[in-house]
Amino acid sequence: METSREDVSIAIRSAFLKKGTKQRFSLFVLIIISCVLIFLQEIEFKPIKYTRVLIKDAIYRGSVIVSYPGESFNSIKNFFKNHFNLYSNYNELRRDYEEIKKEKYQSDFLKLENSQLKKIVQETLATSEVLVSAKVLLDKKSPYLNSFILNVGSNKEIKKGMAVLSKSNFIGRIVDVNFFSSRVLLLTDLNSKIPVILEPSGHLAILSGRGEKLPTLEYLPKDNKIEDGDKIYTSGKEGLFAPGIPIGEVKIENNVYKVLVFSDLNQVLYVNVKTGEDYYRK
Amino acid sequence: MSAFSIKKKTRIGMIIPLLILFIISLNGISIINFKFITVNIHYILVYYFVLRKPDTLGYGFIFLSGIINDVVLGLPLGINSLVLLIVASVATYVRTLTVRVTLINDWISFIPALLIANFFYFISLYFSDFPINYMQLFNNSIFTIVFYPILWALFSLISNYLEI
Repeated sequence: METSREDVSIAIRSAFLKKGTKQRFSLFVLIIISCVLIFLQEIEFKPIKYTRVLIKDAIYRGSVIVSYPGESFNSIKNFFKNHFNLYSNYNELRRDYEEIKKEKYQSDFLKLENSQLKKIVQETLATSEVLVSAKVLLDKKSPYLNSFILNVGSNKEIKKGMAVLSKSNFIGRIVDVNFFSSRVLLLTDLNSKIPVILEPSGHLAILSGRGEKLPTLEYLPKDNKIEDGDKIYTSGKEGLFAPGIPIGEVKIENNVYKVLVFSDLNQVLYVNVKTGEDYYRK
Repeated sequence: MSAFSIKKKTRIGMIIPLLILFIISLNGISIINFKFITVNIHYILVYYFVLRKPDTLGYGFIFLSGIINDVVLGLPLGINSLVLLIVASVATYVRTLTVRVTLINDWISFIPALLIANFFYFISLYFSDFPINYMQLFNNSIFTIVFYPILWALFSLISNYLEI
């Protein structure tokens, strides 16, 4: 027994502490460094923060270069796919156009009515909002994190918490800002919790990501009258985001209120970051 | 084939695992995700080469690839490097203990390596306030174990072809 125990301890020592023939670092030292790095993540000390930001920026650029062949292949594939679907898309768009045309007249009237009512209640409008356009630099979705990297960062006054829009639809928020890049946490991510309002019922809820394609609505009132196709907008509650940004529509599956997001998150190439001062004071 | 060309082929072959390691990290494709099947090829690559061809992958490079993977996938810095080094250390330990290496031996010893690695992964994410999808972590572990022999065969083919 003693001998076998000694064997095990010798094996552990040789595995962890000895460098091996062609190894420059011992495993033990590198494991300690990794633990220190994890610990440093929580420390908001400026030199550490700047070093972290520089490392991230450099790796993002490297990743863009390495991803280039794969991305090119995907874009060629998409090009052919789009080309073959052209006719069916045309018919679909034509139908949509006719419907939108009908709804536009009604919407113009509602806009007019809304502005008149606002004047009556003397509601102060939100401060001027500025949209910063950005390109999606990297789109590496892991099973654990649904996010992508933008090519703008603190150089364009981007701050944590800002809303990110694809066309005019809400798709996520900024969670990490570097000098020349920033990370967007998509609303499908497990970390994502967005206060929303439903139309036409007016119920308030939290749109919660599940790491899957469709996020779900939580904290809804029990006796709600929500139906398939109800529209969802940001509520602007707690001052996180501007109110009224369209997100998606309700799809009820087995009594679970799922949300079909208006923007296809797999096809986003360019986004707008909403930088209204009032909402991101912190 | 002359001795010079064999040496050259071997030298090129030695770089291939390293190249694969960094391409995987920089591309953010360490986890192949197809519907509910998720396989962590990063773990398998590190485990295989540290166990079978220890001279091809330096621990420093494994650490660096973990850092890159953390940045690309948006995880707190150091988590993947810690986990990959844990996988590498189990592989080193198994290598020092065993004499005859077969697929079955490798496969069985890979299970504790993966369990320990996932345990550290879970602990580090838990303390970083990072929510974990337990189902996905479980799926990933199962399919990584299931797919190990396939990737083992592929890596063995590459190693034999390149005469590493």
